[in-house]
Amino acid sequence: MGKKEKGLGCLLFGLLCLAPACWAWHVTHGEVTLRIGLFVGSNWDVPSGEAYAVIDAAIAKFEAEHQGVKVEYASGIKREDYGEWLAEQLLAGREPDVFVVQDEDFDAYAAMGALQDLTEFVEDDSQLDWQGYYPALADYGRYEGHIYGLPVECAPTLMFVNKTLLDREGIPMPQEDWTWDEFYDICARVTRDTDGDGALDQFGVYGYDWQLAALANGARLFREDGKASYFADPRMEAALRFLLSLRRLQKGTEVTGRDFDLGRVAFRPFTFAEYRTYKPYPWRIKKLSDSEWDCVRLPRGPQGRNVSPVGTLLLAMSGRTDHASLAWEFLREVSTDPEIQALVLTKSQGLPVRREVVQGAARAEAMEGEGETGIDMAAVSDIMEEAVSQPKFRDHGAAILMADNEIRRILQGTEAVGGTLHRLQKEINAYLQR
Amino acid sequence: MGVIAAVTQSDSRRLLSAPAVLHNLLWLYNGLAVLLVAGFFFVTQAKIIDSMSAYSFLTMLPLMPWPAGQGLLAAALSYLALFLLGHLYHRAEVPELRYLALTGEIIACIVLLRCLGLAYDGVVLLVVADLMHRYDGRNRLLLLTCAMLGLYFLADYNLLLFQGSVAPFEAYASYYAGPVRGVLLAARGGLISLNLVLFALYLVLLIQDTHEEKERVRLLNEQLAAANRQLRAYALEAESLAETRERNRLAREIHDTLGHTLTGLAAGLDACLVLVEAAPEAARAQMQKLAQVARHGLTDVRRSVSALRPETLEKLPLREAVTSMAREFQETSGMRVQLAVLGWPEHLRDDQEETVYRIVQEALTNANRHGQASQATVTIGTEPGRMFLIIADNGRGCEKAEPGFGLRHMRERLELLHGRLRCWSEGGFTLEAIIPLGEEQMAGGKQNDKGNDS
Repeated sequence: MGKKEKGLGCLLFGLLCLAPACWAWHVTHGEVTLRIGLFVGSNWDVPSGEAYAVIDAAIAKFEAEHQGVKVEYASGIKREDYGEWLAEQLLAGREPDVFVVQDEDFDAYAAMGALQDLTEFVEDDSQLDWQGYYPALADYGRYEGHIYGLPVECAPTLMFVNKTLLDREGIPMPQEDWTWDEFYDICARVTRDTDGDGALDQFGVYGYDWQLAALANGARLFREDGKASYFADPRMEAALRFLLSLRRLQKGTEVTGRDFDLGRVAFRPFTFAEYRTYKPYPWRIKKLSDSEWDCVRLPRGPQGRNVSPVGTLLLAMSGRTDHASLAWEFLREVSTDPEIQALVLTKSQGLPVRREVVQGAARAEAMEGEGETGIDMAAVSDIMEEAVSQPKFRDHGAAILMADNEIRRILQGTEAVGGTLHRLQKEINAYLQR
Repeated sequence: MGVIAAVTQSDSRRLLSAPAVLHNLLWLYNGLAVLLVAGFFFVTQAKIIDSMSAYSFLTMLPLMPWPAGQGLLAAALSYLALFLLGHLYHRAEVPELRYLALTGEIIACIVLLRCLGLAYDGVVLLVVADLMHRYDGRNRLLLLTCAMLGLYFLADYNLLLFQGSVAPFEAYASYYAGPVRGVLLAARGGLISLNLVLFALYLVLLIQDTHEEKERVRLLNEQLAAANRQLRAYALEAESLAETRERNRLAREIHDTLGHTLTGLAAGLDACLVLVEAAPEAARAQMQKLAQVARHGLTDVRRSVSALRPETLEKLPLREAVTSMAREFQETSGMRVQLAVLGWPEHLRDDQEETVYRIVQEALTNANRHGQASQATVTIGTEPGRMFLIIADNGRGCEKAEPGFGLRHMRERLELLHGRLRCWSEGGFTLEAIIPLGEEQMAGGKQNDKGNDS
């Protein structure tokens, strides 16, 4: 071996040793800046006043607890631009250390390695009480058994009841475990012409769609991995037949949002966020109608239970972050800190993801009468215990859109139920497996 | 010498041989191709971000691509590592280091493939070429087959487990409009094909070169065999030459010793014949001397036969040996011998001493036998760089010094020492011998020993 080879070998070895050293220096020295990625406004399609209130509070608390750490975020990214913004950041390698992941991107990003596997953090962190989450939320951040995201807020769908209308008709409030039959009976009783002009002007329900009906009847529409669908399930068919029977009550009259706003509709499914937006600041409902509103669980079909679908906002960590443990602490704080989670209830429209926070609000409510939310939090907490998450694979939205199109035609009576569902299942399977 | 020259030439030939040139060309070409592909990824990724189509681009990928700059840097660095390791593999003499370098090369190759999203797999061929270039072992064919098979598996990466873990080239190409996309895919295909062509050419040349190398070795072996045959003939010739030389030497020795003794004896006996009547006592003394000379001669003959130096010379330093020989000769032959030493060189070699001794002996014998001289003078002296001997007698001389046995032998002995001999007749016969001397033999010879006559 000549001198030249020795020199070459030394050079290679030196480079190999030097690179990690430089990296370590880079990581350990200087002020640490933790970057957060989120969009402005609510995740629940409702207007939002104090867009960054929760995150600002979380940052202030975190920075106070961690000297030399600065947390920043890019503000002003709209929800509809957020997907593209995040993709650009990821592609350019500039993604924040912690960022919000939208449902339809979650599985794909987890599979691509863009998200950090948090399973070990969750298991090793003694400060984290995993059981403190509502069951559906704890599992929402899972992909193939590993945890990639923590829930920060959620929004269950509840059935809102126009108490004034039911009282007027002499109908008692539905029980927590009410069924489709009871639901149908009430709808049948309230659907009538009140002013005698020959046209129906009071209706049973508005906005109760086929997805809610399918869930209520225990029909699971998609396989876990999003590669197959079960639209031909008899429970799905029964759900559609039930919807058809509800529609027939209206005798061809389309119920509109305005009917609901005017207090002429007995039931409307609402997300918690929608209710929070409209109820305490009744700039629409209260202005237009003096109705009293309350919420109950969604009615159950013959083969299902009284479960509510729940949407969850997930916060994830970048798979390439240099500050994984700091990022984890921040994630944990936003997701589990009682103070911050309590702010979710007051400053945003979502529901906290921690049981203790929701139950705490319920206790405060019981002491002070109707609380800030104007909603029975104990009931909401009970609903959350059995809430069900929607699938979040990438093609879910598109598949729902395809199905929606077909099912609308079924509901309008232009297509037969059974055959169409079989065809629909085939089409959607073909799409999912393309 | 010829063989060594041929080997050296072959080394320089190896560096400039066609496969070596093509091998370097392969490195250069692949470097450019890697830069081109990585550059394409770099530019496209930047364009995708600029045109706000990152989201739809990402939905096509099975995994997170590296940021554009990092990807380019990683590709360039891993190619550099590949190159350096290849260089090391080529040059390293220690087998362990070589295997280490090869392993490193394969790892660098895999990293590079990953950097390029398997869009360009030509570097695999490069590693195979590297392997072939250096490895001369018995399993070369097997190795090549295995390497090629591995290559086949890699080449169609759609079949491989790699699929799903790289950002496919097509995803990048799909950013561009139809016609451009076609050109891009064609360009990539061309890039790979040209590399294949170069590689195939390299293999052909390598095989050809190996064949030529074998032919060259065969030729060299033939030359070597011829040289060996010639050497054997030379050895035989040298042997017979040595034999001849030895025979000549023996003849010379016999002539010098036996001839000398017999001449002395003959002259002494003649004197006895004259004296026996007139002075029987003197004759008796003379005969005793003659008997001594005869015994002396006998010993000399024995020594000559066993190729040893004259006994006198063996026992005494040259100077005393010459003096003693001159005295003895005078006593036996009755010829008056005068010895004049003008200078005496130091440290004469054995062969030089013997030559001096024999020349004096022969010259005195000649003077007595052929010249019938009554008196002879031996002069020995030194000049810068040489010593000389002059033996002059007052005999008949001879008009034409026929190169008899004696003179010829003297000349032969002198020639062996690069000396020379001259002789002439001018009121007797004079013989002059010059022996060249080395520097160190010159010192201490200036004392004059004139009158050391006996």
